[in-house]
Amino acid sequence: MSQSRQISVSKNGIPITAIVALAIIFVAGLFVVGFDQGHIFSLVYGDEAFQDLYIHELTHDMRHAAGFPCH
Amino acid sequence: MKTFLFILIVVSSGVAAGLIHGSMNLIFVEPSLDQAIGIENQHLFASGEEKDTPEFWIKYDGYRTWQKSGQVLAGGILGISIGALFGIVFALSRNSLPGKTDVKKALVLAGIMWLTVYFIPFLKYPANPPTVGDPETVVLRGILYLSFIAISGFGAVGFYKLSQKLKTKKLVAIIGYAAFIGIVFVVMPENPDQITAPVDLVNNFRIMSAFTVSLYWLSLGIILGSLWHHYKPHKEIIPFN
Repeated sequence: MSQSRQISVSKNGIPITAIVALAIIFVAGLFVVGFDQGHIFSLVYGDEAFQDLYIHELTHDMRHAAGFPCH
Repeated sequence: MKTFLFILIVVSSGVAAGLIHGSMNLIFVEPSLDQAIGIENQHLFASGEEKDTPEFWIKYDGYRTWQKSGQVLAGGILGISIGALFGIVFALSRNSLPGKTDVKKALVLAGIMWLTVYFIPFLKYPANPPTVGDPETVVLRGILYLSFIAISGFGAVGFYKLSQKLKTKKLVAIIGYAAFIGIVFVVMPENPDQITAPVDLVNNFRIMSAFTVSLYWLSLGIILGSLWHHYKPHKEIIPFN
């Protein structure tokens, strides 16, 4: 009779894919909330986005509250 | 390490702490923001750019309600973003962090990161309410603020690594970092903007802002530590024959 057994081990290796994915999330999120002045929407809407500042206006209050430079 | 579980834990704890941050801002920070934007409105009326009419206020109220919902949404996004950085550093440093449980380890790291990448940069470049910032200097202020955070964060890691290499005590790394960041603090240029808003408003805004950001870091440490303790993403089940 075959018996399958398993063991739980602790590994120190952190998968590089996880680090890369989280690093991208970090940079993208920080840019959206802290620094976008129309850049992201300009990819779709063109120069108009720099006038509308949709993301800037939407994240405006958190931008101030979290200490990012604004205006 | 279970990759998917690890990312899921990091993202969930980030969004949860971020939503707490955004919601707390609605209570503690929004009154100052409303007051500051009220001053901006008076400037608009005085310059003739806008007229003090009922139509203006209807439009303004609708706009501010939308912007306040954005506060909570942005809290979630920023929470995931900073949480991702926290997750990376926690995974890399978990074995060397003091504390017997994951919650204690996560709280120690949250405290270190709060101090080095938030509070010390905040002391140099404190948060300002609307009406203070000059649009002409926003790029310069952004570069100064981010540079200071990066110098402080990498400085802290650098001094820790150095003390490990030289096999000295952790206290040496702390003293080294303190001297380093003290020099950077003095050398870096000041925020170029003049503060014309009432001092009470600015001070109150800064205290409330620092309070809710600190709540975010505390929540992040507790939530990530608890989820890590419960799901143990560092443990892998492998066949054993």
